[in-house]
Amino acid sequence: MELSESVQRGLQSLADLSVFDQSGFQVLVDASFRSLLSSHADPGVLDQPEFKRIDQILLKQSHTAATTFILEAVKQNADKSTISSCLEELTFSAERIEIFYSAYQKHKKELGRLLASIGRRAPQINDVSWRLQYHTKNGQVDKVNEPFYSISLNAENEGSSEDINFTCTVEQLQDLVGKLKDAAKSVEKASQM
Amino acid sequence: MEEVDKILIHALKQVGTEVSEEIDSVRQFSSELIVEAVVRCIRVIDPGLGSTLPTSLPPGMSARFRVGMSLAQACQDIGYKGEIGYQTFLYSNEPEIRSLLMCLVEKLPRESAETSDQPTGKSVVLQRAIAAAIKAQLAVPWLPTNCRLPLHGETQSPAALHNFHVQPLSLPNCSKGPGKKQLKELNDYQRDILPPVTAQPSHHASVVASILEQHTAELSAAQEWDNEWNSQGLLSRLTPQEYQSRKLTRLRKRIEEQLRSAALPSPESAFGGPRSTSDLGELLQAFRASAPSDHILTKGTHFTHTQKFTFTQESAAVTNSIPSRLQSEGDSQQRQQEELASLQQQLQQLCSDVNQLTADMKHMSVTNTQVLDELKQREMGNSEKEEKMQVKKKTIDLLPDADNNLLKLQALVEASAKRVVNLASQWEKHRAPLIDEHRRLKEICSNRDLESSRKLSEIKSLHDKIRVSTEEARKKEEMYKQLVTELENLPQDVSRSAYTQRILEIVSNIKKQKEEITKILSDTKELQKEINSLTGKLDRTFAVTDELIFKDAKKDESVRKSYKYLAALHENCNQLIQTIEDTGTILREIRDLEEQIETENGNKTVANLERILDDYKAIRQENSALAAKVREG
Repeated sequence: MELSESVQRGLQSLADLSVFDQSGFQVLVDASFRSLLSSHADPGVLDQPEFKRIDQILLKQSHTAATTFILEAVKQNADKSTISSCLEELTFSAERIEIFYSAYQKHKKELGRLLASIGRRAPQINDVSWRLQYHTKNGQVDKVNEPFYSISLNAENEGSSEDINFTCTVEQLQDLVGKLKDAAKSVEKASQM
Repeated sequence: MEEVDKILIHALKQVGTEVSEEIDSVRQFSSELIVEAVVRCIRVIDPGLGSTLPTSLPPGMSARFRVGMSLAQACQDIGYKGEIGYQTFLYSNEPEIRSLLMCLVEKLPRESAETSDQPTGKSVVLQRAIAAAIKAQLAVPWLPTNCRLPLHGETQSPAALHNFHVQPLSLPNCSKGPGKKQLKELNDYQRDILPPVTAQPSHHASVVASILEQHTAELSAAQEWDNEWNSQGLLSRLTPQEYQSRKLTRLRKRIEEQLRSAALPSPESAFGGPRSTSDLGELLQAFRASAPSDHILTKGTHFTHTQKFTFTQESAAVTNSIPSRLQSEGDSQQRQQEELASLQQQLQQLCSDVNQLTADMKHMSVTNTQVLDELKQREMGNSEKEEKMQVKKKTIDLLPDADNNLLKLQALVEASAKRVVNLASQWEKHRAPLIDEHRRLKEICSNRDLESSRKLSEIKSLHDKIRVSTEEARKKEEMYKQLVTELENLPQDVSRSAYTQRILEIVSNIKKQKEEITKILSDTKELQKEINSLTGKLDRTFAVTDELIFKDAKKDESVRKSYKYLAALHENCNQLIQTIEDTGTILREIRDLEEQIETENGNKTVANLERILDDYKAIRQENSALAAKVREG
């Protein structure tokens, strides 16, 4: 895991016993996770009695470094050995690594979900209703005589459901079904590496 | 054979055959098991061939026969050299099955083993992880929306998404950095007012994106700097700070130049709204094209003046036209418009005044500096002239006593000439060592230069080496990690050491056997040799005695008798040897036959015969049933 210089410095001061004592370390780690996971920005996240005697600039640096480190670790799905080797390099003691890792383990899933929520996603199909119709004639042509399907896909996007309506001929429908099967097959293939 | 069987059973289990725990030798294999094992092996070796074969025997006898035939055919196609037919599967005997299974297991592809030997890349591991995740997600059944539990929330009910939106973060700088004195106000701001990073973005949703982006930007900047420093910075022989400051000044100079070249139309752009965009475009264009700046700069203020003047007129006309258009509107509006127009006019006026005044001021200041320069020049001329005047005054003072003064002057000149010569000689004296020293120092300097460049190249190579070795170390570490994970993932039931030990045991056994065989071989060879020498000796002695006795036999009757006896004895002995040899061959034959009997016994011939009889009966029954059906039909 590559870390920038400022993050390394912040973590080093976080590892420093003379800056953060044991309870302060614990509280800062908790505060870092909380500040990332809370649903609203909390400017007072660092207003803790444990931090009163710590230089605020150092405190903010360490907080920044800790949040960055947490996010990078979750982004790379780091396991215990990676995290501990990384923190050991930054002079963390085994005890502090353990504290950090247990907190990381506790919040990893949530953080992963938080990272996964960045981006966009196509709507998800929940249901489908269809109707087979027969097109006998229209204004231009007297005899069309073609069946066609009108399909309504009930899709769900970001919690709200919406309907996608379209009509298609038999060939188009076959094409669509074939493509869907292809997609399912390739997903299955991807799962059998 | 036990070892072989164990290895075979293990291999078959790996292929996917379900061999129950109690079975630990090929002897215990049933026909069904044999068929399953063979079919699975064939499927792995040649999927096209194996896919048509069933893994279990059908109940019907004729169908079984057909399956056996097709299996035998498949085995021959794969390359089994031994004798094989339907009977191999249906009426199995141990050695045949063993040799068949050994052949099949040997033919099993070893790719899987080879690939696991090679360290898989990081991407492969990642892809595997992705595949595992997809598999896990596919395993979860789909549920309609209202049945979903929070358990399925991750994959099935999409949470609200937001875009990757980044906002700049302000980070508290490091106050520990040496030589970086920060402003006290900045420090105070960072200490007391700056909110923590997670509270800085206006949308809480963009916190994560912002932090990640900030970190990546820092990392890439550091990397870029590293690259630049290694490629160019080191060669410039400056300290990093010096290099940076030099680069900064260079950049500043360029920006200044560009700005200056673009600054000419700037008075207008500061002025009017409508043309500001085009002016910006011009500015940017000037920025892009590095136009020579000085020739625009010398164009003087007159040009700008006129431009400004025309422009003010234009804008005034524009502002005047607006109220005239709006006269049809209500009175108050009109008044307001008028007032606005007048105010705007006033503003224009004032602006133009201000501009005029600033231009005037500029002009004035320029003229002021010019005048000051002139003044300085005049003063210098003045002082020069004063000096000249003083010299002339002195000469005039000296004129009355001309001869005397001339002599004095000549003496003075001579003295000074002498002094000059003296000084020159002295200078020469001093100069030589100084020049020598200068040369010496120069040499040292060049030496140092050389050395420093050498060291520089050394440093560079060291840097490269460091980079290479760190990379290598990282790669090796990664590989190590991968291998560790792979080791963890590997099935633990296979005890490798036991295997190797067994193999070693087998090898040592084979070695022992080989030794014994060679011993026996040498023994037999020796025996053969002895026999040969003995027969030779016998032949020779016989020939000699035969000759001797034959000679005497002509003279003596009794000797003739003894000769007869000798011949008989020889014959009898020959016969004896023949019989002994015959018994030996017969014994060997007996042993062979006994072995054959044993193998035949091992083939379970009786049981197989019984089974064949049963199967024969079954086939007859089937046939009769079919015939009955045909008759009925």
